[in-house]
Amino acid sequence: MRNYIVRRLLQLLPVLLGISIVIFAVLRLIPGGFASGMLGIDATPELIAQVEARYGLDQPAVTQYLRWMSGVLHGDFGQSFRSGAAILPEMMTRFGVTAELTILAAVISWCIALPLGILAAVKRNTMADRVVRVAALLGVSVPGFALSILVILFLSLAFNYYPPLDYVGFFTDPGKNLEIMALPALILGASMSGSVMRMTRSSVLEIFRQDFIKTVRAKGASEWVTIVRHVLRNALIPIVTLVGMQIGSLLGGAVVIEQIFSLPGLGLMTLTGINNRDYPVVQGCVLFIAFIYVLVNLVVDILYAYIDPRISYD
Amino acid sequence: MKLSKRFFALALAGVMVLALAACGGNGGNSTPPSQSPAPTPDAGSSAPAAPVEQVLKYGTDTWPAGFDPHTISAIAATRVFNQVYESLISFNPDMTFQGVLAESWETPDDTTYIFHLRKGVKFHNGREMTAEDVEYSFNRILGKTDAGDIGALGSSASYYGGIDTIEVVDPATIKFTLKAPNAAFMSSLTSSYGAIVPKEVVEQNNGSLASIETMCGTGPFVYKDSVVDNYITLEKNADYWEAGSPKLDGITYYLMADESTRLAALRTGDINLCSLSALNLSEVQNDSSVKVLSYQSNNYTYLGFNLSSKKLQDKNVRQAMSLAVDRDAIIDYVYNGEATVSTFVAPAMGHWVWDAPKESPLYKKNIDEAKKLMEAAGYSDSNRMTLTVAAGLLDSIRDTVVILQQQLKEIYIDVEISNLESGEYVDIWGKMDTPEAGFDAMCGQNGSGTDPNRAVSFFFSSTGNANVWGYKNDKVDELCAQGVATTDESQRETYYLEAQKIVIDECPNLFFASPMEYFFVSAGLEGFAPYAANANNFNSITLK
Repeated sequence: MRNYIVRRLLQLLPVLLGISIVIFAVLRLIPGGFASGMLGIDATPELIAQVEARYGLDQPAVTQYLRWMSGVLHGDFGQSFRSGAAILPEMMTRFGVTAELTILAAVISWCIALPLGILAAVKRNTMADRVVRVAALLGVSVPGFALSILVILFLSLAFNYYPPLDYVGFFTDPGKNLEIMALPALILGASMSGSVMRMTRSSVLEIFRQDFIKTVRAKGASEWVTIVRHVLRNALIPIVTLVGMQIGSLLGGAVVIEQIFSLPGLGLMTLTGINNRDYPVVQGCVLFIAFIYVLVNLVVDILYAYIDPRISYD
Repeated sequence: MKLSKRFFALALAGVMVLALAACGGNGGNSTPPSQSPAPTPDAGSSAPAAPVEQVLKYGTDTWPAGFDPHTISAIAATRVFNQVYESLISFNPDMTFQGVLAESWETPDDTTYIFHLRKGVKFHNGREMTAEDVEYSFNRILGKTDAGDIGALGSSASYYGGIDTIEVVDPATIKFTLKAPNAAFMSSLTSSYGAIVPKEVVEQNNGSLASIETMCGTGPFVYKDSVVDNYITLEKNADYWEAGSPKLDGITYYLMADESTRLAALRTGDINLCSLSALNLSEVQNDSSVKVLSYQSNNYTYLGFNLSSKKLQDKNVRQAMSLAVDRDAIIDYVYNGEATVSTFVAPAMGHWVWDAPKESPLYKKNIDEAKKLMEAAGYSDSNRMTLTVAAGLLDSIRDTVVILQQQLKEIYIDVEISNLESGEYVDIWGKMDTPEAGFDAMCGQNGSGTDPNRAVSFFFSSTGNANVWGYKNDKVDELCAQGVATTDESQRETYYLEAQKIVIDECPNLFFASPMEYFFVSAGLEGFAPYAANANNFNSITLK
């Protein structure tokens, strides 16, 4: 197992290298540069040249890339062109917000999706199954931003309630922090739960059809034991894969939800960076998000071995 | 009680999210209105009225792109700068000047401006502001300081490039000498680009004021704390030079990108003030908790032609388009009627405006005449023109282009629209006089500024920075040069009115509407009267 993890971590290096080249190139290929964006309609060619020289953007692209990568390898992601703030500490703070949101949303999603998915499978083709399937379909198809705005409008009109606007960290004021996080986590969780519910239902149904379940039942195991100990455990692999991918992409920032609820997370940082053409911020964030995504996938792969002893990486 | 209300609201939110996601299942899940709990009673109805906290909560749509007043002029940033920093002078509502850091001024000749500074004004770090700070600030803008910087590195340099020397006469007197007479100089001093900053703060930060923590001016509010992309808190400057100002104890700006969430928070009292578009007016018509304050902006919408495109070099074609456009229809559809027909000198600029809607035949819709001009240029139903248009960033602009598409159809023009993202927009803007732009025209919104030099010369003289269309008219150039070289107001008016007539007739751009701007505020907010040249004076605001 250890060898496997080391091998996977080593495989991470070319992936990150590739991503760093792609994001560096893409940022410079998209229309609009940092200097012209900063100077706006007052820009003159002389001013643009001055700004570019100041930030090293007049250097050949290869030089700029190597300088950036050399910093990254030394743990220095550089500074934001716009705010002058160091990027790595800012990214870590932002990641904390996004990670909390993701964890809460994932837990909510499991709490909704696993029991309902199993229920739908067990009560296949009954009213309960149909209700769960429609709910799951809505969860998948209703966009998070629309649901967010609907909920905010409803709460403000019906209860004169609006979630707190000034963000505080969990360790500063846990109560207020959870109040801030509750709505976005519920909405993200509800959105995530749709696909998890569908996957749980189909995966559980699949296992139910297998011969060993008949054996389990023939041995006189109760329905509860059959489902929890035998069916669910075997049905978990595709569910964990899906949840892993969902968590991976959410950790990269739930941009829309973060923007609607003004949560200072990683997604909003990346979006602001893109709008401002703040190259070091976007490069740093994308590289970090890619790293997290790959890492989450590695964790999921390792989990397979624990869920299903037949899978071995040795 | 507050806690239980919150808990209840959150619990209900949870139920609602699930219900919304599942409401298609069966009707039994949704709560009919008769079963919903009674609305929360007024929080303060039984308790004795507590004094209202005098902190203005402002819902802002965008996070400032930076915090150096000499570099950034985007509105999200100037909203904050205008509370923290001050310039020498500012505009009154009637566009005359009022002293801010300068108490009085004199102009012994056309190129000399002497300002007598207000005494006893302190920076937020406690040090008194003197003429040396004014000298340092303008030297910084012009890149003449040695604070490890090459200047403020912003467009501010283009505002003050005409300054020849800056001289400290005494600690309370500063003298500017210009290279040539420049009638727009006073107006440019009102900009937040002309903010006076303390030398030591710039030097302590290696020449950079990019970080929010470096904000240190003389303004009525002092920076306190912030969370990036979430909120900025300012507190009252207890040492502010104007007695009795500000009345507020502080301001908190909350980032709220979405219009409907800003309106929701305004209704619940979580914010007191925000700007919203005209589309929200009907939403609050019968809402006694919200007031709307409006003013005529000095912005205008335009369709600018890429004059490197051969088909658009024909003046007849451009004039035909002006004749085919129904500007009132644009105002009705896009702004719910809440805008004024405008040229590039917006109606808010008063006596500087040539009344084209009344005087110019090109502002009166005349399809027959427009068709004749197009036919003279060789177009017909069988030989139609394709006009590729890049649409700017605002929803109102995108809607305007769609209406133009309909209106120009009648005169053999098929409009192809591309909506641009902000980076693309800036990129293409700079290329609109070349085929590289990839578009025949660009639709957007510009600002007339506060002086006709900005409105006319900046956009339409051949040396104007924002004349990105490739437009050149010798007479306009001559009038612009004359307009900026004299300080005689009536003489300037003559020059700029004549220049406007020429530009309107030649149609390098078509101009449509100057929209109203709206502040939606809570009913208890008093003492705020925004106007085009200054929509950020919060010194007299009180909350009830």
